[in-house]
Amino acid sequence: MKQEEFLTELEDILQREDSCKVEDNIEDYDEWDSLSKMALMAFYDKQFGIKISLSQLSELKTVSDLIELAGENIQ
Amino acid sequence: MISFKKNDVIIVTGASSGLGQSTAIQLNELGATVIAIARNKERLNETKLKCKYPDNFHIEVKDLTEKIEELPVYIKELKNKYGKFTGLAYCAGVANIAPLQAIDLTKAKEIFDINYFAPLFMVKGFCDRRNNIGKGASIVVISSISGVKSDKGHGVYGGSKAAIAASMKSFAREVSETQGIRINCVSPSDVKTPLTAHKIEQENSKYPFGCGEATDVSNMIVFLLSYEAKWINTQNYIIDCGYM
Repeated sequence: MKQEEFLTELEDILQREDSCKVEDNIEDYDEWDSLSKMALMAFYDKQFGIKISLSQLSELKTVSDLIELAGENIQ
Repeated sequence: MISFKKNDVIIVTGASSGLGQSTAIQLNELGATVIAIARNKERLNETKLKCKYPDNFHIEVKDLTEKIEELPVYIKELKNKYGKFTGLAYCAGVANIAPLQAIDLTKAKEIFDINYFAPLFMVKGFCDRRNNIGKGASIVVISSISGVKSDKGHGVYGGSKAAIAASMKSFAREVSETQGIRINCVSPSDVKTPLTAHKIEQENSKYPFGCGEATDVSNMIVFLLSYEAKWINTQNYIIDCGYM
C-alpha cells in the first residue's frame, strides 16, 4: 500500500473531515479515541495481518509512527 | 411539544408503506426534512402527496439489500446531496412465517439481509462522523415483538429482529460516548399495515384496545427521534398494547 492510500484509509477509519498528514501528532486528533484505536487494530489485522495491542497504539505519537508500525506494508 | 426544524434532515427507510410511511408523513408534518427511501417509486410518490410540506419530502428509490456493504457510501452520497443528518428511522423490513421444518438457508439469509445486515450498514454509514450532526442526532431501528417473544413460525424472523436489537444496544453505547448520538429500538406487535394485512383479522381480539394502527407505533418513533427524548438512549420499547 502506498503512503497516500494509507493516509486516505486513516481518514476514513478516524472519520476525519480534514486530511491526515505524516507529520501530524495523532494525539491532537479529536477522533483519536478508544473506538478509533480498535477500528485501526482491526484494519491492521485485516489489511496487513499485523496484530497490534491497544497499549501499543496508545504509545504512538505521530502518523509517521503508525506508518512505521506497518513496516514494509506501507511504502 | 415535539417539533422539528427544516434543517433537521431525517432518513426514513421503508417509507412507502406501513410504519415507515406513517413515520415519514408525521416527521414532515412536524417540520423535518424527510429523505424517504423505498423500492417502489410510485408508492413513494403517493406518500409525498399525503405530506403537509411536500417540498421538504425527498424521494430516493433504493433497494437496501443490494450491495449492503456499500450502504455507508450511499449514505455519504445522500449527505453530499442533502447535508448532515439529524435522524434515521430504519423501518424497512420483511415479515416471514416459516416453521423449523420449512426453513431454508437462502430464504433465512434474505430475511437477515433486510432485517439485520441492511440496518447494520445504514447505521454504520449514519454514524460516520462526517455524515451526521453529532450531539442531538438520533436513530430508531424497528425491531419486533417477535425478537422478544417469538411465536411459532417466527424463528428466523424473530432471530433477525432480536439480533438487530442486541447489536443496536452495543452501537448505542459506542456512539453516544464518542459523538452524542442516541440509538433506540421499537418492538411493535402487528399493527394494520400492508405487511401484516393477511393475518391481522384473526388476531384482532387479543388486544384490549383492539388492533393498533401504524400511527400508534410511529408516534413513538417520532418522539424518540425528537429533541424531547434527549435523555432516552439504548432502549428497546415494546409497543403491543400490553398484550405480551
